[in-house]
Amino acid sequence: MNENLFASFITPTMMGLPVVIIIIMLPSMMLTSSNRLLSNRFHTFQQWVVKMITKQMMSIHSPKGQTWCLMLVSLIIFIGSTNLLGLLPHTFTPTTQLSMNLGMAIPLWAGTVFLGFRHKMKSTLAHFLPQGTPIPLIPMLIIIETISLFIQPMALAVRLTANITAGHLLMHLIGGATLVLTSISPPTAMITFIILVLLTILEFAVALIQAYVFTLLVSLYLHDNT
Amino acid sequence: MAGAESDGQFQFTGIKKYFNSYTLTGRMNCVLSTYGGIALLVLYFKLRSQKTPAVKAS
Repeated sequence: MNENLFASFITPTMMGLPVVIIIIMLPSMMLTSSNRLLSNRFHTFQQWVVKMITKQMMSIHSPKGQTWCLMLVSLIIFIGSTNLLGLLPHTFTPTTQLSMNLGMAIPLWAGTVFLGFRHKMKSTLAHFLPQGTPIPLIPMLIIIETISLFIQPMALAVRLTANITAGHLLMHLIGGATLVLTSISPPTAMITFIILVLLTILEFAVALIQAYVFTLLVSLYLHDNT
Repeated sequence: MAGAESDGQFQFTGIKKYFNSYTLTGRMNCVLSTYGGIALLVLYFKLRSQKTPAVKAS
């Protein structure tokens, strides 16, 4: 049981070759592109979703920030679709790997910081000291703000990893408990099964919310620096 | 998030003109001087540890 619990988080290999690259590419293979103005229902729905996300995410940005539109919309669709596909039984979810989430978080965060230093150096440096700080607190607050800046990419990555991993583990545990309780006490198994169904619904919501939160935070860091 | 801050609305004199927590310039200078101070401290302790000879066992 203990070994099986974390088996779904091991990077999958087939005959010694890593297939994780194909798994990461899978959501993009499932999303269609069309050269027609009016396409089929699936593609029209896809376009509607992309348009809604673009309007929602990019309306707060200046023209300079809106150059990141393609990056941010791709990010939310990738994380959302990866998380949702991971809810299928016996699938591997790439966003449970901290390495992958750090690989997304650090370059995006660093990009926003470098953009800020390049285009608004004075304002970006002044951000480390909140306006109206009492004089004795200035050095300490600058150090605290610097530390909080460097924690941002770590928090981004760990938040996504922990939420998705914890949800999958819980589903695994409660599912296992339901199975064991079926032969011992069917009424208790029924209650556990209801909890499992509610948890699955929650995990669907968490999958989309975590994608939104990740992208929104990157968008906010970009807004601060443009 | 606050909009563009106008440095002109604050009238400081003396050293407060360059080091305060209200204007953009003042805040930037405070940040840079804090980082400079930390760098100097690190440099001082690093050079001090290089100068101090290693204690030999008697």
